[in-house]
Amino acid sequence: MKRKNHYAFVIDVARCIDCRACQVACSVENHVPMENTRIWVQDLGVQGEFPNLQHIFVPYNCMHCEHPPCTEVCVSGATYKDKDTGLVLVDQDACIGCGYCVDACPYNVRYLDKKRGVVDKCNACAQRLEVGLEPACVATCIGGSRLFGDLNDPVSKASVALQNARNIVRLDYEANGHDTDPNIYYINLPNMEQLNMPELFQPLVSQSGALPRAPKYTLSEQGWKHVAVPLLAAGIGASFLVQAIYFTKQLIEGEKEFEE
Amino acid sequence: MGHKNIPLPERRRLRSKMYKKHNLANILTHWFNVGMWLLLLPTGIAILSSPRLGLSPLWMQEMFRNVFGGTANLIRFHYTVGLLWIFVLVFNILVGFRRYFVPFAATRLLLDQDDIEWLKTKPLQMLGFMKDKELPPQDAYNAGQKLYMYVVIFGTIGIMVSGVVMTFNQVFPPLLKQIAQPVHWVSVFSIVAGLIIHVYMGAVFPEEKEAFFSMFSGKVSAWYARAHHEKWYNEKLREEMAWEDLVRQELARSAEQHAQEQPATAD
Amino acid sequence: MANKTLSRRDFLKVGGAAGGAMLLGSFVAPPIAQAARRLGSLDANGDGYIPTMCEMCVWRCGVLAKVEGGRIVKLEGNPEHPHSRGRLCARGQSGLMNTYDPDRVLKPLVRVGQRGEGKFRTASWDEALDIVADNMLKIKQNYGPEAMVFSSTHNLSQVQFENLLNGFGSPNYGTQRSLCFNAMVTAFSLTYGVEEPARNYDEVEFILLVGRNLTEAISTSETAELVEAISRGAKLVYLDPRYTKTAAKASEWIPIRPGTDAAFLLAMIHVIVSEELADCEFVKKYVLGCDDIVEAMQPYTPQWAETITGVPASTIDRIAREFAAAKHKALAHPGWRTSNFINSFQTERAIATLNALSGNVLTPGGCLAAESPEAASIGLGKPPQPPYPRISALRLDGVPWKYPLVPLKLGVFQELRDAILSGQPYQAHGWLVARQNPVLSLPDRARTLQAISKLDFLVTVDIIMNDTSWYSDVVLPEASYLERYDPLHIVDRKIYLRQPVVEPQGEARSALWIYKQLGERLGLGDFFQYEDEEDYIRQQLAPLNLDFNELRIKGYLDPGVAQEEREIVFNTPSGKIEVYSETLGKAGFSPWPTWEDPVYPRPGEFYLLTGKVAQHTQFGTQNNQLLHKYQDEPRLWLHPEPAASLGLKDWDVVEVTSQVGSVKVPVKITQAIRPDCVYLTPGYGHASKGLRTAYQVGANASDLHVTYTDPISGGQALSQTFVTIKKA
Repeated sequence: MKRKNHYAFVIDVARCIDCRACQVACSVENHVPMENTRIWVQDLGVQGEFPNLQHIFVPYNCMHCEHPPCTEVCVSGATYKDKDTGLVLVDQDACIGCGYCVDACPYNVRYLDKKRGVVDKCNACAQRLEVGLEPACVATCIGGSRLFGDLNDPVSKASVALQNARNIVRLDYEANGHDTDPNIYYINLPNMEQLNMPELFQPLVSQSGALPRAPKYTLSEQGWKHVAVPLLAAGIGASFLVQAIYFTKQLIEGEKEFEE
Repeated sequence: MGHKNIPLPERRRLRSKMYKKHNLANILTHWFNVGMWLLLLPTGIAILSSPRLGLSPLWMQEMFRNVFGGTANLIRFHYTVGLLWIFVLVFNILVGFRRYFVPFAATRLLLDQDDIEWLKTKPLQMLGFMKDKELPPQDAYNAGQKLYMYVVIFGTIGIMVSGVVMTFNQVFPPLLKQIAQPVHWVSVFSIVAGLIIHVYMGAVFPEEKEAFFSMFSGKVSAWYARAHHEKWYNEKLREEMAWEDLVRQELARSAEQHAQEQPATAD
Repeated sequence: MANKTLSRRDFLKVGGAAGGAMLLGSFVAPPIAQAARRLGSLDANGDGYIPTMCEMCVWRCGVLAKVEGGRIVKLEGNPEHPHSRGRLCARGQSGLMNTYDPDRVLKPLVRVGQRGEGKFRTASWDEALDIVADNMLKIKQNYGPEAMVFSSTHNLSQVQFENLLNGFGSPNYGTQRSLCFNAMVTAFSLTYGVEEPARNYDEVEFILLVGRNLTEAISTSETAELVEAISRGAKLVYLDPRYTKTAAKASEWIPIRPGTDAAFLLAMIHVIVSEELADCEFVKKYVLGCDDIVEAMQPYTPQWAETITGVPASTIDRIAREFAAAKHKALAHPGWRTSNFINSFQTERAIATLNALSGNVLTPGGCLAAESPEAASIGLGKPPQPPYPRISALRLDGVPWKYPLVPLKLGVFQELRDAILSGQPYQAHGWLVARQNPVLSLPDRARTLQAISKLDFLVTVDIIMNDTSWYSDVVLPEASYLERYDPLHIVDRKIYLRQPVVEPQGEARSALWIYKQLGERLGLGDFFQYEDEEDYIRQQLAPLNLDFNELRIKGYLDPGVAQEEREIVFNTPSGKIEVYSETLGKAGFSPWPTWEDPVYPRPGEFYLLTGKVAQHTQFGTQNNQLLHKYQDEPRLWLHPEPAASLGLKDWDVVEVTSQVGSVKVPVKITQAIRPDCVYLTPGYGHASKGLRTAYQVGANASDLHVTYTDPISGGQALSQTFVTIKKA
């Protein structure tokens, strides 16, 4: 089943200068709280020995995966993959901010908005797309590193950039039965042969390891799935069984109690 | 004393004699509860969309979301009804705490030796063993009902507290909201597990038909009471006998008084 | 009195006033929103986009401010503006936080405690302006107008600020220029007759950036053009002792020894002229000195340069040939902040020469224009004003009596500060600072504070309580750039407007209003013949017969001035590009670009380098919460080699000591810097407690900077400060 749109970010790594205009623009456009961000520019660090150095910046945000692990754990469906656009969105009115999805996201791009008690993340500025504008980060990108467009449309900026790319890398998480199939395409990486992206792609919070990471499931979510669901299924099954036995018995033996 | 060997006229007498089992507050609360559950259970199941749980079929999720106009509205409906349910239940309990709740908890809820014996026997009988063993006499509620009552009480508290935590999501920390979800559904489905039997027994099972109608009239026949809740029946009898004794004493006293007054007027 | 508690009666008064305002507000929109609605920029709800102009740096991008119900909610780059082209940098995007900074000064403040204690009381505009005018007039009466110092930094209202100072009769004017681009402007003025030639990246094939860190010192359109050129395959050679983010994008990074850029460039010139690789036709026609240049450049062989710069001669030779081979599609960038060494002027002269030799000036497809983008005169009007009074007093900054070649408008700010301190040749008594923070920006902060302590009166015009305001006697709150008009700005023959998009916060007022009010109180009303800001702009537009309302709707107007086809004449004495400058020769300096040996650090000392980060503009944006959010923790960069010998680990706090001061700062150990250098981003280490976001974040490089002045351009030599480091 083909979607109406297949929105994707294409990021020309060679053009990113780590100026962070995208981050500020995003913060303002989406009223992101001061202690949170929806968008990162990952500094891979100065590589090499003086004076033969290399420094690469990898912008990232929600990858709007084709198979997002975050939507799977959302109990209410508050976070979902939009049927028309393919964007992974959060319906804040339906979200209770439990944070299952925050732990499940292999890219650490979700955050809990403390004040509103909900989860938030990049929505590709859906509110801007509606009125025909590009996402705030893309619109203001000084180096023209960030592109956004519909991959179903062969002449969209994103499609054209992918067609002309020297190389294309995605940070796919493919393990433990997952294949996120992310929708951020990194193009034009310098010295591709020397770069092992997933290994180099250290997250902003260094203690949580390299990205993408395995989806984490909280204890309560795990407990619910692995303990409570089977137990309750068994319980409900058992009680159903009991009533079925009685009912059958009743049918066979007839309502002898009430004969007068 | 066998229940089946009662002569027909006595049976008729017992059938027509009614005992009051439920008061109006109980009845209203019960049916209010039924209504709320009918609204809350399907919407609640429809909300559960995580494919990792696989509890709610996709068509159901979509149908409810379409009917209510989206996930958010479905949830809004669910918690609005839920809050109403909580409010009414808590209000009823608080208002009737001393008059209804305390006596109810004290006289009808506690398990005694007979109940434990019943619990040992009944499940086996249901599976077809020990058919000939006589069940110990039961109170106004049998041991199974009492046990289920505990599930309902603690489950309801669990549902309410976790529901409030999830409804007022701005106030509570994420960890609490994470825990609240399993608590909510474990509570719900524990109750649902018993509910299947409860509904079956109440609405379908012929032996318990009286119980069903008692949830409207508040009354059961002496016949039914004697058969299913012998202890309670006996207690009712005792109450009746005590009352009769009282009446007799009263009559005797008034007869005596009458006798004393009679001569005086005869003078 | 700053933290005076409101009495209940005050409270009632405030409450009543606010209530009244609210009541009124529900019927009548405030004036700016009202006008915007009338013009159609805002809809009936007060939502919409208003075009204006950025002021987060001096590049002045066009902005579309998105307004919702009287509040700015987003800024977009104006696609119609050649500087923004729909984009804004991090600073531009954060601009609304400038307006909504919780630390804004919203009412005039008058000092009540000791200087630097930060105790102020609020005052009415009338009272505050009277205090300022009284003090200024007292100083004028007692010591003459020259005892009053004026200073301000690059802004559109500067023309009226200069009216104030010239009308008052003071020759003492401090600007940021000598801390920034004196070397570049002086060198290019002397060589090309153009202060800052425009760069053109359309067809560029070879770019030489001499410390011009364009991806961190962002000029939106130029940075975009550079990245575009690199992506297209243009070669970028970047000279910098530090591996900046521009170095990360360069084809070749040359970690040249600080202060020796000129040697590298002179050797390039040597190769090009001695091998006759230059564009002969162009050079002969337009360049003065091309006959003798081979001889003049004779000593500067690549081998000679190798010993000085540490760059292999073969590399210099190769780069020179590549540069020459690209012909007019080669660009040696003039640079911007060129206040590095005493010899930075010679570096700039060498850059000017290289461009001349490549023939990239005025050639179709050439990479350097003979004029700056703002130079085209469109013939804007100006309110009438009488001639300025004659000024006979010497300038305290030594121009021209000590620094004969420094252009008058550039001045030597650090010298001015030193003259206040020394009282030579005469004592200054008052200082009016507008939109500037000399306490933080001038080298040697201790000395600046001493100079301030010698003043009778210090008044600051700013939007926040910056470090200089903190020491001021009166602080006048200016409206932010999104709340006010400024005089018009011209880019590429079009007129651009800065206009208010929301009502000013509190009692903040535009500079045009403040200067006029002050001018009238000083008896200089004739220099401020405009009713209000709008009247000022109408008078500017009057000779061109242009519609003000159209300008307000579009944000710009094209007066249709065609680019003149004219014979190339450079605005120099000879009318040519003066690689050989007689003016320099007459003043006793070398007429040729020449080598001046800089000072070198002693063993154990490091060069202290300063530079830019893309998230901040100099000293003024550190309190912006959005920029603070996305900045890196300011640290001292140090190469792992010296770090190991000093026993330092990453994030260790070190004590950095120079001849004049010492700061403590955490260290960042990185391969991205030469082992003989350390680097500190300036603009941090604010001492004003009125800046709650920026207060005491990071360390201030100007605590360490020693004051050195280039005798030709008057530029401060910021990288000539050497420091020692030890674990704190």
